[in-house]
Amino acid sequence: MKQEQPLLDVRHLKTYFHTENGTVPSVEGVSFQINKGEVVAIVGESGCGKSVTSYSIMGLVKSPGKIEAGEVLLDGTDLTTLSKRQMRKLRGNDMSMIFQEPLTSLNPLFTVGFQISEVIVLHQDVTKKEARQKTIEMIEKVGIPNAEKIYSNFPHQLSGGMRQRIMIAIALACNPKLLIADEPTTALDVSIQAQILDLMKKLRKELETSILIITHDLGVVAEMVDRVVVMYAGKVVEEGTVYELFRDPKHPYTKGLLESTPKIHERKDELYSIKGTVPTPANMPKGCSFSPRCAFAGDKCREQQPELVQVNSGQKVSCWLHEEGEVSLHEQKQTAAT
Amino acid sequence: MKRYLIRRILQVIPVLLIISFIVFSLVFLAGNPVALMLPEDASQEQVEALTESLGLNEPFYVQYGMFLGNAVQGDFGQSYRYNQDAMSIVLERLPQTLELAAVSMLFATIIAVPLGIWSASKQNSFVDVFATGASVLGKAMPNFWLGIMLILLFSVNLSLFPVSGRGSFMHIVLPAITLGTAIAAEMTRLIRSNMLEVMQQDYVRTAQSKGQKDSVVTYRHAFKNCLIPVVTIMALQTSSLIGGALVTEVVFAWPGMGQLLVQAVNARDMAIVQACVFVIAIAVIAMNLVADIVYRLIDPRIKYD
Repeated sequence: MKQEQPLLDVRHLKTYFHTENGTVPSVEGVSFQINKGEVVAIVGESGCGKSVTSYSIMGLVKSPGKIEAGEVLLDGTDLTTLSKRQMRKLRGNDMSMIFQEPLTSLNPLFTVGFQISEVIVLHQDVTKKEARQKTIEMIEKVGIPNAEKIYSNFPHQLSGGMRQRIMIAIALACNPKLLIADEPTTALDVSIQAQILDLMKKLRKELETSILIITHDLGVVAEMVDRVVVMYAGKVVEEGTVYELFRDPKHPYTKGLLESTPKIHERKDELYSIKGTVPTPANMPKGCSFSPRCAFAGDKCREQQPELVQVNSGQKVSCWLHEEGEVSLHEQKQTAAT
Repeated sequence: MKRYLIRRILQVIPVLLIISFIVFSLVFLAGNPVALMLPEDASQEQVEALTESLGLNEPFYVQYGMFLGNAVQGDFGQSYRYNQDAMSIVLERLPQTLELAAVSMLFATIIAVPLGIWSASKQNSFVDVFATGASVLGKAMPNFWLGIMLILLFSVNLSLFPVSGRGSFMHIVLPAITLGTAIAAEMTRLIRSNMLEVMQQDYVRTAQSKGQKDSVVTYRHAFKNCLIPVVTIMALQTSSLIGGALVTEVVFAWPGMGQLLVQAVNARDMAIVQACVFVIAIAVIAMNLVADIVYRLIDPRIKYD
């Protein structure tokens, strides 16, 4: 089977923040791919660089942050080499984004209708009347009744769930190839969370949009994701299909994450938690950045940094404990070469 | 909105009553008006006759009642300097003062809005440092000094603008710059700090993620959100310009209400002073009302009912 070109191909992305107190490497050589129509999640604790990764893709990293190295290929075009103007043409059109806080992500001074039609007028050659018609269609599409009336409502007149639906309408108005959702359900009630996830699943099928979800909620991952990228301290530590990752996590950090999720059929007085905290860039350990918190860490882990290596057909891990896997991979390569 | 307006206008009545009482009391603060109006060698009979005709023998509250009754009809008595109805003299000067206030505010706004936005969008850059320095300087210079310096430079040395008076558009330039500079300085600082805050808001990021141009993001999505404090400052400054352009009007011999008020105070022409204070008070109330209405037009979340 011929391997299709991935829709999004992030290669060795490095995004640093140059602050007065020194350089903070927020994203440190991240690579992953998203195929057409695929839903990929980036999971990790707060501060692991998952949001900065998504902003880097969108070209929305704010100063003093800067993409230092790497490539972000969208349909083969390297976004890091595009001019501001070219990026603006893609943003909202070919790729778009929804944010964590629906309550503050909409401008309070404009009607929701205006805010949706703004992106349509910007990227499509339509008359005002057509833009309005399209906007109303989008409001209906995201499951809000009375679209005509909602069109002229202001954000403060809508509930949090409704506002997130409006954000989704803005993001999908121009039928983008890639939708980045930065913790889209974190700020919402549990019942609303499920509705928003259902809506995203439905629209994904309808519009054939690839989705990158940034989340720390493994429930969201299990619900709608095809593949998972686990990030820790600015690096990818494990990547795999959702099935493999939940069934057989390879990295001790992924294991810890799964452990610390409460399960309905187990009664526990105390929830499991990974000891310690994510290291700050100033005291990043020499070897594997997870080694100070890892129960299995050996001397090699504290000395040398492991590479992200393929351990089976769909799973990659960056851990010395799977060194053997790495060896066998080398052997495979060698046999393939001869 | 209509109900709100009616309620607000009704609320003005008690405010005006309090102001009228203060204005009325001014006469007593300034000493016996009879002594002011009559020559020093006036006889005791003349003094008594005038006291009687002015109603000054009546108890305080009766006098206040009479004053109020007249004031409601716009009658603040006769100016003894001009021998004319005081209110009509003041109202004659009002348009000139409004004209100067409007041009000064326009000047301040034209300077402050782009400069404030620019220095916020380029925080800590040369432009920002320059704007901050210029703001401190602009705020620190006293009006009378700035006015005189402008006259010296642009009128006396360069002969670009007339020294004083009112006539062509050229006459208004220097007094408007004099008054507008300090206001521009304050507005620039205010807009800068508000823009810095608003630019961090999530909805600004949303606008950027739509692929909107920086200028549209800045003006449409960010600047509109920091208009409320800007409108507040503009309303306050406009009302203080209407009431307080005293020194500048005198320096430039601008025939407005401020100059009239200074002359009236010097000559103890109390009828004019009272009429001026009353007009200024109404201007302040009106500006506040305008600001409240503008808030509502800017921000749909503000409800008055």
